[in-house]
Amino acid sequence: MRLAEVERGDSMRHRMLIRLISRFAGYRLPDAARVAFYDKSFAGPALGEWTQKAMRESSSWSVSERELMAAVVASWSSCPFCVGAHGAIAVRGVEPELVSAALADFRTAPLSDRLRAALVFLERMMTEPDRLSAVDARAALDVGLTVDELEDAAAVAAVFAIITRNANALDYEIPTADEFDRAAVMLLRRGYS
Amino acid sequence: MTTPKSHAQLAERLRARVENAGILDAELRVACVRIGAGAGAELDAPHRELVATIAEASHRVTDAQVTAVQEALGSDRAAFEVIMAASAGAGLRRWDAALRAIREASDEAG
Repeated sequence: MRLAEVERGDSMRHRMLIRLISRFAGYRLPDAARVAFYDKSFAGPALGEWTQKAMRESSSWSVSERELMAAVVASWSSCPFCVGAHGAIAVRGVEPELVSAALADFRTAPLSDRLRAALVFLERMMTEPDRLSAVDARAALDVGLTVDELEDAAAVAAVFAIITRNANALDYEIPTADEFDRAAVMLLRRGYS
Repeated sequence: MTTPKSHAQLAERLRARVENAGILDAELRVACVRIGAGAGAELDAPHRELVATIAEASHRVTDAQVTAVQEALGSDRAAFEVIMAASAGAGLRRWDAALRAIREASDEAG
């Protein structure tokens, strides 16, 4: 973590919460949670609300499918923290081998046609946003995705385009695999806002 | 009972917060959003260097880039706003492109 005030908390209440949660959980509170606590008067709450909607609220995509999308988006942003954190949640609803295969190459991984079509759209959205067009959206809709499903997938990618950049720019400390697993339980229970 | 918010509404709420809240000079913060989104804007070094790196290859951001902005602006909070504004610009650029593409395809389908 490159900013000390973000790491330790910006108020007495947040500093106490960070210490208490870390003690209760038995591991260092991940930097993503410290950022969520920080500077509540700025953009964090709005980002948290959109992330909660994208990742946890009603959608045709399961929570695990959305977490898998987040992990794959994070891999395109070269964000090891988010790949680890969201891969650890995805494997609670998707076979671990499938998550690994999708992260290695979603085009050849044995995913559903609709999930693969969504990822094709998201890949262009993330890597070549100026070239993204109705042709790309039509290709996904032709596979059978609904407009709502494609929008829901795009929202996952948009919030993780932001979150991965924060994580990389602030240089989030990478938890161990066991810590990622335990944090996944907390994120499944508590959500993002 | 509150009406559930759409992704588009939540994206606009985030955009408004990033552009209108915070402690930085509004012109500086909006410039960070614009450069984060790949658009043009006036921004002095070292802010420009950090924001452009976040936009294009955030995994290449260095300790020195963040420290230079923190020292130039005088606080962690201000440096955090630069980072968040740049990141939000990059994400909202992609959201805008996706929403435009989806709506055009949907309209074509009638």
